[in-house]
Amino acid sequence: MIEVKEVEKKFGRKKILKGVSFTANKGEITCLIGINGVGKTTILNAIMALTPIHKGQILIDGEPLKENTFEKITFIPDAITMLPQMTIAESMEFMHDFYASWNQERATELLSFFKLKPNDRIASLSKGNSAKVNLLLGLALDVDYVLMDEPFSGIDMFSREEIANVFTSHLIENRGVIITTHEVGDIEHLIDKVVLLDDGMVTKEFNAEEARENEGKSVIDVMREVYVR
Amino acid sequence: MKNYIKLANFEINRVSKLFTVLLGITLIVQIVGVIVEARKYLNMANEKMYEEMMSIAEFLEMFNQMSFIQVVRSVWFLGPIALCIAGVAFYIFLIWYRDWFGRNTFVYRLLMLPTSRLTIFFAKITTIMVMTLGFVAFQLILLPIELLIFKGMVPSDFRNDMGVREVVSSMPEISIIIPGSLLELILYYGAGLLAVSILFTGILFERSFKWKGIFAAVLYGAVAVVLFISPLLLQEFVVDHFFYPLELFLLEIVMGLIIFAGSIWTSGFLLKKKITV
Repeated sequence: MIEVKEVEKKFGRKKILKGVSFTANKGEITCLIGINGVGKTTILNAIMALTPIHKGQILIDGEPLKENTFEKITFIPDAITMLPQMTIAESMEFMHDFYASWNQERATELLSFFKLKPNDRIASLSKGNSAKVNLLLGLALDVDYVLMDEPFSGIDMFSREEIANVFTSHLIENRGVIITTHEVGDIEHLIDKVVLLDDGMVTKEFNAEEARENEGKSVIDVMREVYVR
Repeated sequence: MKNYIKLANFEINRVSKLFTVLLGITLIVQIVGVIVEARKYLNMANEKMYEEMMSIAEFLEMFNQMSFIQVVRSVWFLGPIALCIAGVAFYIFLIWYRDWFGRNTFVYRLLMLPTSRLTIFFAKITTIMVMTLGFVAFQLILLPIELLIFKGMVPSDFRNDMGVREVVSSMPEISIIIPGSLLELILYYGAGLLAVSILFTGILFERSFKWKGIFAAVLYGAVAVVLFISPLLLQEFVVDHFFYPLELFLLEIVMGLIIFAGSIWTSGFLLKKKITV
């Protein structure tokens, strides 16, 4: 389980996160939703120790992040993390070299799933294909948790469909996923838990299926209640 | 250790293009320099002997034999060396900043590697050292070739023959780059390594605290310099030349090692606890 406990984060004098707490379980898709600048990416960066927090605690399976934790949690940012001059194959080789959890079989499967060409250079990829390569490099790791930052941001409809298909495939099965997105419509029916953020705080945390079944409300309906007052 | 070697190899491959270009420039410019300087001297000799009817003895008495030092002191020889030094100095900053900026943020990948983040620091500092020593090694290979070209162009009566060692020791600037003994090599390049480690720590301060980090970096650099020269200051102003030169030398080495260890520790702390992508 990923536990985010009372996390506070400041940029200069501005407090971006004001005591954010939530949990994300293995086998569940947790969606962080909020308007731009609310701190969604900062939370993911903080979980991966890519930015320091000023207060609070983040635990992964009960322990603070250590170097070997990166073998069981992966972060897929919204920008490609490989060098522009590298080819997709070289990027995969890089991952294979450094991660014991790299699953070459799954990487090959993802390559054909996304219809990517291994010899294409990263610099030559479209936004959609860059996002797919990012997903490939993240999902080909045999990790327990996957963090995704805006995987649908700025990409075409067909690429979005392909990426959304990942969420219904075995590639995500049994993993804990934390995703931030604006385009919640693409994966609304797949989300287990929703964490709504506003003004640096968690304003509502709910189970998407329970809201659907008990209150007859979609995630977007609940978002409207919270954000459009 | 395995990850360090892999990452250092990766970083060295990343710099290989710049490195090759600088080696190419050095090779071409220095060899052209030998040819140009030798021809300049020979043209002058021809002019004096054939047009002004000077004898060889008179010419040599007036203008002396040409030695390779004339080539070494020319911009043809020193220019590429300065360019390589500037290249390394530039790369000390580029090796970190290029990972943060641009369309592809490679720093995410580096910081998420399942290895100690200090490995990144060590891999990058190794790259700088390999690059620097690579230039020196190349210069050492190039010098005998240039001496051969020089010998081939200038007749023996007109030249003062020198070996590589003589050429190097003839100019203090060159003998710093190409030290004459192992001890000098360790001292000069140890000092260089220390300076790079301080700069790296400064860069990491900036990457961790942004604007405030620049002040922290300058402060850190100043403290490191003061600490490093503290035995000299102590000797001069406090203990009235109490230490023997050897003792002072050893104290300097100890201070250097302490600062180097401090830079590594501080960099490790910043990379682990304070760095921001």
